[in-house]
Amino acid sequence: MLGCQDFCGHYEWTFHYFRSRWGQDALRRLWAEAIGGESQQHYAKVALQAGLRGLYDQYVKTGEEEHCDWTYTLDESKNVLRCDMRECPSKGFLIKNNLNADEDYCDHCQGWELPLTASVGLEIVEHEHNHCGQCWTVYRLKDRSAELVDVAADIRKDERWRCGFIHRWEKDRRLPLLSFVSESSDPCDVLVQWFAANNCITILGDDIDSPGASREPPLHEQTAVLTTDNTYANRERCPVDPVAVLIGHDAANLTALATRFLATSPGRRPLLLHPYLPRMPILDFVSLELPRPIPILPLLIRCGLYVHQPSGANPGPVELLFLLALALQKRISLAGVDIHLHPKVGRLLVKHKKD
Amino acid sequence: MAAPDFYFAINATFRHLHDVYGKAALIDYWRSLGREYYRSRTDRWKNGDLQTLAVDWQNYFAEEPQAVVDVTVAAHAVEVNITVCPAIKHLRDNHRDIVPYFCEHCDHICGAMADVSGYTFHREGGGGSCRQRFVQLPSGTEEARKC
Repeated sequence: MLGCQDFCGHYEWTFHYFRSRWGQDALRRLWAEAIGGESQQHYAKVALQAGLRGLYDQYVKTGEEEHCDWTYTLDESKNVLRCDMRECPSKGFLIKNNLNADEDYCDHCQGWELPLTASVGLEIVEHEHNHCGQCWTVYRLKDRSAELVDVAADIRKDERWRCGFIHRWEKDRRLPLLSFVSESSDPCDVLVQWFAANNCITILGDDIDSPGASREPPLHEQTAVLTTDNTYANRERCPVDPVAVLIGHDAANLTALATRFLATSPGRRPLLLHPYLPRMPILDFVSLELPRPIPILPLLIRCGLYVHQPSGANPGPVELLFLLALALQKRISLAGVDIHLHPKVGRLLVKHKKD
Repeated sequence: MAAPDFYFAINATFRHLHDVYGKAALIDYWRSLGREYYRSRTDRWKNGDLQTLAVDWQNYFAEEPQAVVDVTVAAHAVEVNITVCPAIKHLRDNHRDIVPYFCEHCDHICGAMADVSGYTFHREGGGGSCRQRFVQLPSGTEEARKC
């Protein structure tokens, strides 16, 4: 039987099933019609009966059933219902159980909520989530003006808000993830656009001492270099400005990386990337004044180049860079990378300097 | 986080798959879910014995709200007697329109899980209570299947 105890796990798996067979629009249709239209019809019913108050009561009931660590704030005189989620139990289930089949689990909430609220005359004035279990939302009755309220529970005051990457909605519309790169809110589109001008990518590792490490091609100003946080943090190993830097979860040199990044003129700064793997250390980029890195797993999953194995070892940063370059369909050259075909594992492995 | 309202989403997802993509797609979804999503469970079944499978189902139903289920080990089989199906009960209690093929999800999800772990799956009954059996394949049958 398909139970409710592990619902979040098979729900997430289902999203990937839909996306991979029928595409993005099919998944949006599932959320809008099956979840928003049928499964959550009791939300629409109470919202029609009692407006924001009805929705508030339903969410309080749901929060008790699902053990949500959140605060709902209702101020009907200001036409505002606000949610501040401190620890999403749904995303938390995935993190706890090391599940990551789909590109973007958090997307589903707005996927069903937005069509549902729109159908009963409500508007999602603002919403943001950081993909780490924290989010906030403001709703209003669309036919009346709203006055935003300042709340003590504002999740953005919580240090956990400094982690992850942010998707933002305003007036029922999802905003671009990185507007100076692409108008798209899809991180896959951002990556494709960022690398559009580069036909060939040089992956630069930090293994310059190993006899097996490749040293060619020589680096020069025109080389589009893709490298890791460790290599980027050391200017001798990475003398050129790379086009992008993948920050691994162990990011031992994050402060040095930030120093170099912030000292670089904005037009020459690399795009920062991160895997955001479940059950791995969650990094605070914001405190170091770094932009929140773009996630790379969505593109790898969409291209079929990455399947998360809950019981398997995670790929290392250089392996992830290979996969990214493959996903972007670029010619790849190597420098400072010792790569070999593992006889037992049957896949390419990168020898790490510390090995 | 066993919130019973999640059964609403399960029922609605089945209907959506059936109505938009057809019954064959729904069956493929069920069987893929059994094979892929539940791989960690079927790996345990494959590497364990009948008791492993029985304990797995006992633990599973213990977390489902309002389930009344008895799991027993018989000769070469595990029997799961479901007196109260928690999903059907919650859907009925909340006056939800249950898809007529709801019970078939067990045939295909459990069937696919059984296939990859050396068992066959059988169900008798339905509509809120049923008897499910996981029958152990004779030794060597699974290898023969793989070939």
